[in-house]
Amino acid sequence: MSVIDLSKLPFPEHNLRCFLDTVCAEHELDFAAYAGMNPIQQSVHGFVNYPDEWQTRYVEQGYQHKDPALLMASRSIAPVDWQRLRKETSFQTIMQAAHDFGISEQGLTIPVRGPYGDVGLFSVTRNCSDREWRLLKTSIIGDLQTAAVHLHDHVMQSSILTRKLTHPSLSEREIEILQWVAAGKSQQDVADILSISNRTIEVHLRSCRTKLGALTTPHAVGRAIGLSIIYPV
Amino acid sequence: MIIVVDGINRHRYTRLLDEMFALRARVFGQRLGWEVDIRDGREIDQYDALDPAYVIGVNEQNRVVSCVRALQTTGPHMLSDVFSSILNGEPPLRSATLWESTRFCVDTEVLDRGKSRNSVSYATCELMAASLEYARDSGISDIVTVIDPVMDRVLKRSDCAPYGYVGKTTPMGKVSAMAALLDCSDDRIDRIRRFAGIEGDVFVDDQREQCLSDEGMTAAESIAPTSSQPTTQDRMQALLQEYCLEQVADAATQEELDAARRLTDNLLGAGLIRENHSLLAGI
Repeated sequence: MSVIDLSKLPFPEHNLRCFLDTVCAEHELDFAAYAGMNPIQQSVHGFVNYPDEWQTRYVEQGYQHKDPALLMASRSIAPVDWQRLRKETSFQTIMQAAHDFGISEQGLTIPVRGPYGDVGLFSVTRNCSDREWRLLKTSIIGDLQTAAVHLHDHVMQSSILTRKLTHPSLSEREIEILQWVAAGKSQQDVADILSISNRTIEVHLRSCRTKLGALTTPHAVGRAIGLSIIYPV
Repeated sequence: MIIVVDGINRHRYTRLLDEMFALRARVFGQRLGWEVDIRDGREIDQYDALDPAYVIGVNEQNRVVSCVRALQTTGPHMLSDVFSSILNGEPPLRSATLWESTRFCVDTEVLDRGKSRNSVSYATCELMAASLEYARDSGISDIVTVIDPVMDRVLKRSDCAPYGYVGKTTPMGKVSAMAALLDCSDDRIDRIRRFAGIEGDVFVDDQREQCLSDEGMTAAESIAPTSSQPTTQDRMQALLQEYCLEQVADAATQEELDAARRLTDNLLGAGLIRENHSLLAGI
């Protein structure tokens, strides 16, 4: 498998490294990193906002082959708090080295699974006490999940083959809901019109955003119109 | 109590998982009559090979009494494939904060009726609360769960009614299946806990986690046959030792004291009591 550094590639739409910086700034985090495996393209993608010296050191030492944050998290469906890895010798080795570059052992890795066996691992770190970390984690973990999937899907879409395979497929109900939103109806309006709960609408809209690679509902509406999934109103 | 077994730790819990697959075979294969693959009395499908997370309930004897399986909706899961008939062949929901839960079941043969800790009702609520808490703590806000109409009624009765459904109720062997939506909110978790009277942490601590592992279970077995006898023997020894001490202490005359010491010596010689400090001091 080849290793592609996405931060070195020109991205017309999104600067992925910039996205990492935004996630860090918004959620009081020090660093963020993404690694993704695309079995269709037979490649590993990665980019981080760690100090360059640490990146070099990491690859030189071949840490990616033994980093438990990557190896173990890919087998979990839940985010793996690095506290769970503290007993692993490989984790201790890497963290001792990372310490010199100002990277703390307080962190977590969110595993993302895509539809074609593609796996993405999104890690964040923050230098703070266990207590502070617990509080921060609780408040940001939902947003981080969304960010991780958004990032992963974008990276996978950068391969033409995967892009062809993952044309967004919305259900009739999702299209129906998005069409009403495009017509200017509020979430509660749509719930009343369709006689289903507000939260059912919410879950469908969240799914629409994920499928369309959008972070906001207006963005999803725009995308859906662009792809002729719904009509412009 | 509840333990979470996933791709990271499953190599340590092969016996627990084996018991869980056997429970699933009894529930889904025999009781519900779903069209599931059963081999050697175990129900295992292709999704079990995808490193799902299992939330497993165990009783005080460390037996599996309940279980459920969770998968992310961003990747392959049951509604995207084998359960697609529930969705009329429509594409399933896909979201970073939505998990799919399947194979929810409890052991009605081991558990009894009523509302005790050993009841079907308590085990069901404990598993529901635990799976929602595990999801919530992972940043998940909603769960789409594939259930049968009986489970749907159980949810409604347990103050945990689904807030919505996707697709339609579809025949699945002897019964039918449907996809219900549940939020992992504190409010819902509190309602389930209140209904069943569940208090405190439902997840096992480190020590219990070790007991439930293959290593812990093997250790418990190797001690078990020899440990039951010594306990009665130990108790007998302690009682005899106590008796000797009392005789020595209560001796009113030299004659009685000598007799008490002779008895102690005889018992020591016969190995019926062990020398200990207080006994030696008495002698």
